[in-house]
Amino acid sequence: MFLARIDGTVVPAAKHATLEGCRFLVAQRLEADGSTGAEPLVLVDLLGAAFGSTVLVSTDGDIARERFGNTTPARMVVVGIVDPVQGAGRTA
Amino acid sequence: MRLGIVRGHVTLTPAVPELLGLTLVVLEPVTMANLRAKNGLAGGKSLVAVDALGAATGQMVAFTEGTEAANPFWPNRAPVDAYCTLIVDSITTGNS
Repeated sequence: MFLARIDGTVVPAAKHATLEGCRFLVAQRLEADGSTGAEPLVLVDLLGAAFGSTVLVSTDGDIARERFGNTTPARMVVVGIVDPVQGAGRTA
Repeated sequence: MRLGIVRGHVTLTPAVPELLGLTLVVLEPVTMANLRAKNGLAGGKSLVAVDALGAATGQMVAFTEGTEAANPFWPNRAPVDAYCTLIVDSITTGNS
């Protein structure tokens, strides 16, 4: 699991059939020193994370398989939104 | 998932049976700098992914990596570690 900051939203033109109705977000991985990853990540969001918020991302596909079925290719799922108070000093 | 731009298609002759009939695309992962610049460049180290959505050369896709990339073939197994999960229509980021 890792922390990421929500940077935007993705509108899909086509998507895997198991992910109908899902929300897709663009996020940047956050490092301990406050820097961000060089490549953007696309996350499946079930919690309604807002732009600019810090989220916890799981790269284990089990929660995705549970929600979307065994044939889903989804892997990076938002599993929590970081409380801004707890993240004070680190949240952007 | 990472974002990638389709740079071409791969045809295999021969291939292991699990890959026969699949569409393979060459992807160039997109960096944050290029995504923000909206310059059509990607900039990452290219890889090959399975595409069942029909992405055309030049289109941006989001692709899953790892064992989850083989999930669409469940209950069968496939030697696949990258899979195009969605084709991007548009992306809205903080500076746009």
